[in-house]
Order: sequence, then C-alpha cells, then structure tokens
Amino acid sequence: MGAFDMLRIANSSLGMHQTWLDALAHNIANANTVRATSEDAFQQQMVVATARPDGGVDVSGIELGDAEGILEYAPDHPLADADGYVRAPAMDMSVQMTSLVQAQRGFQASVQVTKTAQDTYNAALQIGQG
Amino acid sequence: MSIGGIEAISGFTPLAAPVVQAPAPAAAPATQGVKGADFGSMVLDGIERLEGIQDHADTLAVRAATGTLPNIHDYTLAATEAETATKLTVAVRNKAIEAFSEIMRMQVG
Repeated sequence: MGAFDMLRIANSSLGMHQTWLDALAHNIANANTVRATSEDAFQQQMVVATARPDGGVDVSGIELGDAEGILEYAPDHPLADADGYVRAPAMDMSVQMTSLVQAQRGFQASVQVTKTAQDTYNAALQIGQG
Repeated sequence: MSIGGIEAISGFTPLAAPVVQAPAPAAAPATQGVKGADFGSMVLDGIERLEGIQDHADTLAVRAATGTLPNIHDYTLAATEAETATKLTVAVRNKAIEAFSEIMRMQVG
C-alpha cells in the first residue's frame, strides 16, 4: 500500500494520540481516587510510543506510575487506616492537563496531515486534465 | 579558493549530495510485440484492489453505525483512501477511453 503511505502514517499517529488521550482521560478521572494504605495507590498510565521503521508510530506499551502514592491524612475517610491515612495517587494534575493539550494538538496536527495528503493526492489526479 | 569551515563545527556532518542513479537499461525494446503487463489485467487488478479498499471502508462504516468502531479516524481515513482510489481508477479509465477514441478517430487509407 505504497500509494497511501502518508494516510497510513497519519493514521498510526492518530491512533497513538487517541491512546494517549484515553490514558490521560483515565488519569484525570482517577485524580481523586484514594485507596487504603494496605493497597497500592492509583497508578497513572503513561503511553510509550515507538517509531515504526517503515514510517509511522506505534504504542509499544503503557507504563504505570508510582504505586507508593501520597499518604494523605483523612481520619474521617472510610478507607483510612488506624493512623488516619489514605493513599492518594502520586500525580500532578497540571502535568496531566498540559499533556492533554499536547496530545490534542498532536491529534489535530495529524488530522491536518491527512487533509494535506488528500489535497496532494487530488492534485496528482489533476495531472493531464484540461 | 576553497570554502571550508562548516565541517569544522563539531558534530556537524554535511549532508551527502543526492545521487541520481542511472536508470537500469531496458531489458528489451518493447516494440517487437513484447507484452508487458496486459492492460486489461492491469485494469482488472486495479479494480480488484479498489474493491478491497471499498469493502474495508464499508465494513468500518457498518461498525461505526453499530457502535463497535474503536476509533473514529479508522473509518474517516478508510473512506478518504477509498475515495482517492476510486478517483484514481476513474482517471485511469478516462485516460484509456480517451486513448481508444483517439485511435478510433485515426484516418486510415
């Protein structure tokens, strides 16, 4: 499928950014998820992207963040231990939000690539006409 | 006078000049009735490939309608590809018909 490589590569990029956006949505959704201190804290997902040798990008895996979390003092919390602590995710909301903007911009850039690819192919089809 | 210096900057490797490769010599002159890919089979192959691309786009369209499509861009890109491939096939067909009509208009004798 050599003729549509530009579309294929843009498609892989859209897929990667989609996965990234999903992971960020998951992280932000769980920003306030606390666990008991006997358990691991909520671990944020970090998407690992790898370039394809023949063009494009792949999601090679999803790494998990710190399981230690942050101990928060909340004696009224139903999950609190004897000392009154719960485990909150070790995650910075501002980092998640900036990553969200970055992922969205990356997605939009890939959409622009597909538009350019379409324009380019259409231009090639005009050759010899009129 | 030689202009040097750029290479002296550490870490900078000048780009190699692009090399245009000489075209491979043609195997045989095509005039002596040597058949390349038959035009008819070429067109059929193209149409078959187009059908595959359109089938793929159709499958994704059905999945979009039934809510089982994982990514929106999978469908939109497949549709774009199908559209462009269709346009290309039509362009080839038009060119072929144009050539045929041109030959039919030729004065003989």
